[in-house]
Amino acid sequence: MVELKFKRFTLNQRIQHIIFFTSFILLAYTGFPLKFPEEWWSRWMIESVGGFDNRTFIHHFSGLAMIGVSIYHVVYHILEKPRYDIIFNLKDLEDFRQQIRYYLRYSDEHPKFGRYTWKQKFEYFGAGFGAVIMGFTGLLMWQPFEAMKYFPIGFVQIANLFHTWEAVLASIAVFIGHIYDEHFGKFPNLSWLTGNIPEEEMRHEHPVEYEEAMKSQKIVNPENMEHKENKNILIVGFAKLVFTILFLAICIWMLWISYSVLTEAVKTFMVR
Amino acid sequence: MYRIIVLALIAVFFLTTASAQDENMDISCYHCHLAQVNEFRASIHFNKNTCADCHGGDINISGTVVSINVMHTNFTGIPSPINVTNFCSKCHENETRVYEESIHWQRLNEGRTSASCTDCHGIHNILSSKNPNSSTYSANVPGTCAKCHENQTKMQALYYGIRTDRFDTYKKSFHYKSYESGGRLLAVCSDCHENHDTTQASDPKSAINPANLPSTCGKSGCHPGANNVFIYGGKIHEEQSVYLLSLDAKRLVTYFYILMILFELTFTIGLIFLGITSNFEIRRRN
Repeated sequence: MVELKFKRFTLNQRIQHIIFFTSFILLAYTGFPLKFPEEWWSRWMIESVGGFDNRTFIHHFSGLAMIGVSIYHVVYHILEKPRYDIIFNLKDLEDFRQQIRYYLRYSDEHPKFGRYTWKQKFEYFGAGFGAVIMGFTGLLMWQPFEAMKYFPIGFVQIANLFHTWEAVLASIAVFIGHIYDEHFGKFPNLSWLTGNIPEEEMRHEHPVEYEEAMKSQKIVNPENMEHKENKNILIVGFAKLVFTILFLAICIWMLWISYSVLTEAVKTFMVR
Repeated sequence: MYRIIVLALIAVFFLTTASAQDENMDISCYHCHLAQVNEFRASIHFNKNTCADCHGGDINISGTVVSINVMHTNFTGIPSPINVTNFCSKCHENETRVYEESIHWQRLNEGRTSASCTDCHGIHNILSSKNPNSSTYSANVPGTCAKCHENQTKMQALYYGIRTDRFDTYKKSFHYKSYESGGRLLAVCSDCHENHDTTQASDPKSAINPANLPSTCGKSGCHPGANNVFIYGGKIHEEQSVYLLSLDAKRLVTYFYILMILFELTFTIGLIFLGITSNFEIRRRN
């Protein structure tokens, strides 16, 4: 049986994504223990990367990698043929309304998404703004006394605040939202490695794009026609189990972090 | 008569063995003040000083004699803070001179409660500041200062406008977090506020006076070259508000992000939940 595969990400985009998420995971892994130094997992995580100085080095290095790949992404957009399908439009608003109606049983019709859903657009721009905020505030905090030659100390303190909050915000969006939608719901979603998505997923998730592609025959890449492999159900099932446990653990961790950050803020700013 | 001699011999035997255990000068106090003398024996002053050096009295009188005899000369049981400073100054002249510049001494002189030598260094169990068990060992300094400065009742009772959240706010700084996470020990209280001559920020000679902050932060081991930095605008410990261009930026950012995170959490988890339930619904229908 032959299955059509659709090109979704180019090699360039895939490499950008891999660098971005690797640095993101490393930053979260080495960053949150510093926010909660007194928790048991904090010590454990810092020791797992070989001590506090290593932690700092990894954090700085992956921060630079993230800044680098973000700058590269802007350059890439300028150099590549400009595309506008990632930008919000009125259809997204309609899709969103339709999706909520569908979820709340007001309608039987699921919205028909184009190449990018409204959620994916949010994630894309969220990651973009997040990278800008994290990059600037992180650089300010890396060398506070260099920064204080140009900005008053208040800026460094506010940078610290922004850095923490934005980290929590971004981590919730990525570790709960993005992982659930793109990797948990569509497990095993290998499009981040291969760049292709199978026909069924294409028809199901991006029907508008699918129709356009079938009409124009442009996006369909005949080189990517492959024989459908007999997937080993056991291996996939086991991988899914491990992935689920990991995902749930990270979800609980993120919820704990957001809970304690919020209660701390409430204690500091509202109770007193 | 025979009986009395035996009793006397037994008594003499016990007393001589007791005094033979240790030929140190604190022996006369040891019989009653066991805990204090034991503490003292572990301290750095042991073998250099005797009880009498601080408490007065005559140490050479035998401990077997009722202690009224020990105390017959200028004996002080619990010295007042000012007395403490006086008898420490007998040996630690320089330290006392520097301490007498401090706000602690000023307050003591005004007749108020404040920290004297023993409040930070300990009383009988004084250790070298290089000893990791010492209350003045760098890593233990924040805890030592917090003993009073985090104590709400103490700070309120002698309210000089001192905030009790200084240790809490210090805990949020990289200086504390590094050591707490197993890294290097960075600046502690005394590194910025000075140890003996700690003074309030409004004092122009104070290390934490805004004008002196660049040189305080710019110490050779810390942030050298911090001369022309905009540090004097800010308050280092400030937790609730940082003003930028007369805007309470800290409060604004926090409120904004509290709303954002609450919104995002409800949205993300709500959509996941709705997605799962509608999936069940579809499966049930099919």
